Parts: sequence; C-alpha cells; structure tokens
Amino acid sequence: MKLAVDEALRYLGVKGRPDEALAQTVAQVAQTLTGQITPRYTYRVFRLERAPAGVRLAGTDVVLPGATAEKMLSGCDQAALLACTLGARFDQLLRSTQARDMAQAVILDACGSAWVESGCDQAEDEIAARFPGQYLTDRFSPGYGDLPLTLQSALCALLDTPRRLGLVVTESALLDPVKSVTALVGVSPTPQPARVRGCAVCPLRGSCTFSKGGQRCER
Amino acid sequence: MNDNFWQGGFTLLDGALGTMVQALDLPRSARPELLALTHPQALMDIHRAYVQAGSQVIYANTFGCNGKKLAGTGHTAAEVVSASVAAARAAAGERARVALDIGPLGELLEPLGSLTFERAYDLFREVVEAGVQAGADLIVIETMTDLYEAKAALLAAKEHSGLPVFVTLSFEEGGRTFTGCCVESMAKTLEGLGADAIGFNCSLGPDKMTALVETLAGATALPIIAKPNAGLPDPLDGHYPMGPEEFAAALAELVKRGATIVGGCCGTTPDYIALVRETLSGMPPVSRQVAPVSRVCTPTRCLELDGVRVIGERINPTGKKRLQQALREGDLDYILDLAVRQEDAGADILDVNVGCPGVDEVELLPKVVKKLQSAVSLPLQLDSADPAALEAALRVYNGKPAVNSVNGDPASLAAVLPLVKKYGGAVVGLCLDENGLPQTAEERLAIARRILDAALAQGIPREDVWIDCLTMTVSAQQSQAVETLAAVRGVREELGLQTVLGVSNISFGLPQRPLVNQTFLTAALADGLTLPILDPNRAEMMDAIHAFRVLSGEDEGCGAYVERFAQAAPAAPAPDSGAGEEFTLAQAILKGRRGEAGRLAQEALERMEPLALVEGELIPALDRAGEEYEAGRLYLPQLLSAAQAAQSVFEAVAAQMERTGGAPVKKGALAVATVRGDIHDIGKNIAKTVMENYGYQVLDLGRDVPPETVAEEAERQGLKLVGLSALMTTTLPAMAETVRLLKALPTPPAVFVAGAVVTEDYARSIGADYYAKDAKDSARIAREVLG
Repeated sequence: MKLAVDEALRYLGVKGRPDEALAQTVAQVAQTLTGQITPRYTYRVFRLERAPAGVRLAGTDVVLPGATAEKMLSGCDQAALLACTLGARFDQLLRSTQARDMAQAVILDACGSAWVESGCDQAEDEIAARFPGQYLTDRFSPGYGDLPLTLQSALCALLDTPRRLGLVVTESALLDPVKSVTALVGVSPTPQPARVRGCAVCPLRGSCTFSKGGQRCER
Repeated sequence: MNDNFWQGGFTLLDGALGTMVQALDLPRSARPELLALTHPQALMDIHRAYVQAGSQVIYANTFGCNGKKLAGTGHTAAEVVSASVAAARAAAGERARVALDIGPLGELLEPLGSLTFERAYDLFREVVEAGVQAGADLIVIETMTDLYEAKAALLAAKEHSGLPVFVTLSFEEGGRTFTGCCVESMAKTLEGLGADAIGFNCSLGPDKMTALVETLAGATALPIIAKPNAGLPDPLDGHYPMGPEEFAAALAELVKRGATIVGGCCGTTPDYIALVRETLSGMPPVSRQVAPVSRVCTPTRCLELDGVRVIGERINPTGKKRLQQALREGDLDYILDLAVRQEDAGADILDVNVGCPGVDEVELLPKVVKKLQSAVSLPLQLDSADPAALEAALRVYNGKPAVNSVNGDPASLAAVLPLVKKYGGAVVGLCLDENGLPQTAEERLAIARRILDAALAQGIPREDVWIDCLTMTVSAQQSQAVETLAAVRGVREELGLQTVLGVSNISFGLPQRPLVNQTFLTAALADGLTLPILDPNRAEMMDAIHAFRVLSGEDEGCGAYVERFAQAAPAAPAPDSGAGEEFTLAQAILKGRRGEAGRLAQEALERMEPLALVEGELIPALDRAGEEYEAGRLYLPQLLSAAQAAQSVFEAVAAQMERTGGAPVKKGALAVATVRGDIHDIGKNIAKTVMENYGYQVLDLGRDVPPETVAEEAERQGLKLVGLSALMTTTLPAMAETVRLLKALPTPPAVFVAGAVVTEDYARSIGADYYAKDAKDSARIAREVLG
C-alpha cells in the first residue's frame, strides 16, 4: 500500500507544481503516518435483489434507495460492501499534532485522507482478485448522488465494523473515527463504464472545497 | 455460589452465542438483544447445549443490552437483562454460573468520540443494577477496545455490585487494541481498579493470541482469560476457518502460557467447548510467579520505573501568574501547551496541580486531566491537597496515575490511601506528619516506614508507594540538604522504594540557580533518587539526567546520550534557525520562521511600542500572508505557519507587557464551536489558530456542542461574534438551530458559519450574518465585527 503524496497535496489545495519545501514536508508527514498507522478494512459480498424501494442486499434488510445505486449497480448481480478506517489512533495522532503545530496537523489531515483511500484501493484489489473474469464498477459511498448518509449505520452493522475495525456510526450518521470510508462496488459479468467520479453525480456540487476553489476531486 | 471458583484449576466458559443464533435462521426482523423476550426457548436451548458441553460459566444474552442500543425497541435495559439472565439461569440450573455480559456501548467515548465518561458510567450502572437484581453470579465485561470504556464499566460494576468481575479486551495481532491500548497498560489499570480476572476475547483466533497471553502473564498476577474466535472469518461468506480440533489444540498452547479461564468467541459452538474440556482434562494449570514492578500508565504508554524517570513540574500555579490566570479563565489550551512542551522535552510523567485562589479544584482537576489526556500520552501525577479533587481526577483518569500526595499524618493517610486503593494508583508519601517536617534523615525515614505500613495495610502494593524526602531551600536551612540526601539513601537502601524529590527549590535566593539545581540533582541521583521533579525544558537538568543514565548503566551503549548531543551539534541546523539568512520581521512571519520571528520581535520591542509593533508590522505581515493565500501562492499549511510565527511575536509582546505593566494587547472576544452531532473539528481549530494570531481572544466551545450551550455562553460572556462549523449535511440542521437560538438572544451576536457543505446561500437562508469560506476569511469577518 502506498500513500499518494500528490493526492494529499491536492487535498491541501495545491494546483500544479507545489513548492519544493511544502512537497518535502508533506512527503515526510506521509512517511511518518504510514510508518505508524495501517488502514484496516473489511468487506462482504452480497447478491443483489431488485425491490420496489431500490436495490436490496440479499439476505438482509438493507435496501439501497435512489437513482445513484440503481444506475451504479445496473449491470451487476453482486456487490461488495467495504469499510476502511485509519482507526482511533489516527485521531489521537491528529489531536496530538494539533496541540503542537497546526500547520503540520493540516498536512497530516490531508495525508490521512489520502491514506484511507489507499486502504480502499487495496480492499478493492483484493475483491477484484476474488472475481476473476468479472468486472467491478467504480466505488461509491453514502453521500454520493442520492445515496443517503443515513445508510451508514445499517452498512456498518452488516460489516460488524465496531468489532472488526473499531468503527462506529454516531447518531448524526457520521463515521467515527473520522478517517473512515464505507463504499459499495458492483460486480458484473460485463465491463463497466466509469460512472461515479464526477461533479455531475455529486451532491456536494457547487459547495465542496474543491469546487469552491474551481477544482475537481477526480483523478 | 460466589466462592472464588475461578482461582486454582481451570474454569471453562461458553462459546459463541451469536454464531448459534445465526444458525437458528430466525426472521430478519428479530433483534438479537431481545431474544429472551421474543424467542426464550431457542435461547435456553443454546445455553443448555453449552452447559452440556461442560461450560461452567455461561454468558447471559446481555452483551448489547444497554440504554443506548435498546433505545427505540420499547424495552428498558432492566427488562431485557432480567429476562436474559432468567433464561440463562433456567438453562444453567445448578451446573453452571450465570454471567451478566456487558459489551461496548457502540459509540466512542471522549476524547475520540463525544460520549462522556460519566454518561458511559451511567449506562453501565443501569445494566449492572439490573443484573444484580436478576441474580447474576458474576459480571463479565468483554470485547472492549477502549480501556476508558472498560474502566467506566468496571467502576460501575464495582460500585454497584459485590459480584466478581472479569474483564476482557479485544486486541489486534500487533499487541494493541484499536484505540492503541497495550497489554501492560490494560493489566495495570484493570488490576488497580479491582478486576478479578482479565484477558482477551474475540478478534483473533487462539493461534494469534499466544504472544498476548505471554505478555499478560508477565504483567499481572490475576487469573488470565482467553476466549478467542475460531480464526478470522472469510470476507465472502463469513465462515470461520478453524475447526474444533485445531481450536482446542491452539487454546491448549494459551493454557501452557498461563491462561486458566477459557472459552470461545465468534465462530465457536458447543462442539468446540466439549473438545476444549477434553483437552484440558489432562493438563495442569501453569503456576506463575510475577515479579512486582513499579508502573504507571496511560492506555498507549506503560512506564516501567526501572531507572531514572523525570516528572515534569511545570503545571503547578505556585508563583506563576500566567498559569493562574489561565486556570481561572479555564484556558485549558494554555495548560495543554505546557504539557506538550514537557513531553517533547523528555519528561516521563507530568505533575498536574491546579490549586490556586479562585479555582474550584474538584471541578477543574478532572477537566484538566481529560484535556491533557486528549493529546498527551504521558502518565500523569495528580497533585492536590484536596482529597475530593484527587478522587474526581482519579475517576476520570484513563490508565494508572500517581497521586501526589499523602503524608504521615493519620488524617492524611485515612483520607488519601483508600482512594489510591480503590482507583488503583501509585502514591507519593511526603516525609512529614502532623508535627511538621522532621529535621533529621532518621526521623524522615521513620515517617516513610509508617506511610509504607499504612499503604500495605490498605492493600496497596509496595511498588506503588513512592517516597518524597522533601527538599528545603539551602540558603535558608543549609544543614537540610545533606539530611534530605541521607533520607533518600535510606529509603532506597532500607525500604527499596521509589524516591521522589522536587529539585528546583533547593537554590531559591541564590545566584546561578541552574548550577545549584544541577549539582543537587546529580548528588541526589547518586544517592538513589529515581523520580526527580523538575522543569524538563531546562537543558542543563535534562543533560544531567542523560549523563547520569550513562554512568548508571541505564543508557546501554550510551545511545540516548549520544543522540541527544548529536542533535544539538551545530553541524545540522534546525530548519527554523534561519542560519545564514537575514530576515525582516515581516519576512520571518511570512516564511513561518517561529524562532526567528520571536527573536526579531524582541529586538523590535527595544525600539518601539508593543501596540505599534502589532499594528504596524505584525498585522500587515499576516494580511500579506492572507493575500498570498487568496492568490493561491501560499497554501493552508504555510498560512498556518505564518500564523504560528505571529504567535511567537505575540508571546514576545505579552512578555514585554508583563515586564512594563502595560495593558495586554487584546482585540476583542468571540466564540467558535463545531455544532451538535458533528465531530469534525479541524476546520474550526484552523480558524481559531488564525484568529488568535490576529490578536482575537477565541473561546473554543469544542465540538458536538448543543445549540443551547452556544447561546448560553454567548449571552453569559456578552459576545459580539460567534463562529459555527459543520462538515456534513446531516449536521446542518443543528447549525440552523444554533443560529436561531443565538438570534433570539436579547442582544444577538453576529454569527458566521463555515464548513465543507456550507455555502453563502445556505448561510443567508439560516439567518447567519456571514459565510466564511476559509480560515483567512474568518479573520476578515472578525476584523469587520470586532475591529
């Protein structure tokens, strides 16, 4: 697993080539972080059932409502549900760093975001390897498109994330520890077009940090 | 049935309940917590199968039965616990004991999450009371990954039942829990709080638990529990890979390493337990001798006192005006800053004393402890003359602390030692009593013996008694220095206890105080001082400590010593030193050179008024940084570095003001808060850093702050400006509600809002006056509103 330093720089709002000193500091922070904390993840694969209210994860009560899930999973008969977190130790490290040096903390925060994405990538690779000859859709998460954030609690319950990862969902549907992701990846017998990464399907369109600054979050 | 059944021989626990319930193929709507109400017969059948397999203790189906998890089911914890214990009892009959099973609450406790320790305690207490009422034979606290949560549950169990209490945590293979707790810290903390047996459950298979059990066997004399999973489940189908034979064989290895209370967790069934019983029948329990070691700890750091350990003295308001002011104003960030500086300077333990006029120690000491533990990993020494304040702090401390202090006065012994015993700490015993401080070493030693005897009688182990022979000012009582040293020698040689000594007072009233302090420290170390209390920011004191560790052999190979002075060598200048470059103050700020900016400010203050420096140089430099940031030539970390360099200018200004007695440069106050339900507070903290460095006084209300609290504080303090942040769409309603309450106040403050999903339009729609698009913007708003 490798932390994408250029991703972290992008989270910091850096466009184009960053100055050398900043890039170096970010690389150092990234190195410290990856030396101390490894993303943890877990996943489960479900068959999909079409229900009137949306796409149901077979054998469970969980239905993914709305157009995003329907479109994302349209050609799929199965989907992997995954959760990834840097865990409480990242929060501790971030808090401790904030008490010492806010500039450093901001960099650590950005590196943390990049690192948890690396964890998701790794989980996705692992899932892909379990389905040779099949195709995965893009990863998508509650909060993308019209897939509601309120699903978090049910998704984490299915994965038993409190026990497996130390990841809980607060009453306001936030994942805690803060550097955590839940995501769905559709599994299909046919090749899948890229569909999710783009402002067109994103509910944060016009309000997210990137679009406020005239950027996009896509790679 | 409450004899000490778990001591001597083996105790066989049950296997998984959840795995068995899944196999029943109940309707999807069935809540596992409610089985005792909805499917009592099925539940009893499972319990009975374990009893038949040989389980001597079965866990009632109460793992998730707490007020939090049951909310919305229409059932109270008392009701469900009562039915669940009854079901287990019916199955157990006289053949097995019934445990009240207590699992995690499902939300992270402060400082990780926002559930308070006190609220967690109350939730656990409700379960414990119900379990006692229902007739449980023992209490099992299990699957905990946060030592703090385990402490809340254990404290509730001890204070509201007379039952034996077992505690097991879930560890990762690397030897830590998800929250970073290590095995030794778990052992010391739970042992201190009075657990009857401790160990591990869930998360790993028995084959991955051997190192954990080995470590624990060396760290505690308590019986050890092992209740592992049947391996790690396959992600695709949730199947546990380990069969009963493999499981029982691996569990036998844990038994050989000292586990005596064993069973199975996820993936195990009565077949596993039956085979474990068979396997154990031919094995004798391992008898262990655990060497007593002095330790204090936090969850992530267990400090072994096997050499010289430095106790940082800075958090003590005696004679420190700035700290007194911070304590009275509740400025906990200032205190945290004192702590991190000592941690970074090499302190091993931090003394924490908040006693000064105008401060309620009982209220403040626990608050400070929580604040420090949110960002500092060092063990703390809770320091107060008020036993009530000590108890309040002992309750909320996460880990095993030291308590400063008790003395030979019977009243003091009677007030403090029971607290140390109950909460499990080390205690500093001062060699004085109701007759004052004795003049001779022999008399001090006699008091030390008395304190030790009283502690032992109370059940406090010998290694947890530390003796302070007391330093007197040598210029006032010259003969006392040698008496103190002789007493240290006596305590070390005769009693073999840890010795504590505050070394900085020795030199009071003399010139070249550092020299006297360092010399006294060195002499005391040679006489057996193990726990000097000093200011670790003083290089000469830490130098002496490092040198002594070389001479005593503690610093094997002199590695730490060489490293300390290699770092200080001029060959590698720190990036902040600015060696070879000349900066103006404005440039130093812009480049984020903290040290340089502070030095230049001091120079500037020799020729200009503080206010002129702030208005004429500092603010324009910060503005310039802000403009560069706006233009995309500086990024957020660089903007913050500039802000932090500005902070060192402010510090120089404040120091100058204190010297000259001028009014402090402060620009007006505002409050900031991350709204209720939201735990993402870094954006708020960034804005706070920037605004503070513009000279605004920022009252930080924290995160997950209820709307009412924000409104109350704004009104109470008469604030003109309040900033709110929210990161997620789910917490925006709380932001709107907070704005509504603020605007309903008799004199409503101006409100600005910020956060990833907040926009100008949204700000306007909820009645906020301003939208801050970033931290820089919040400083602009502060200037507009507060001037």
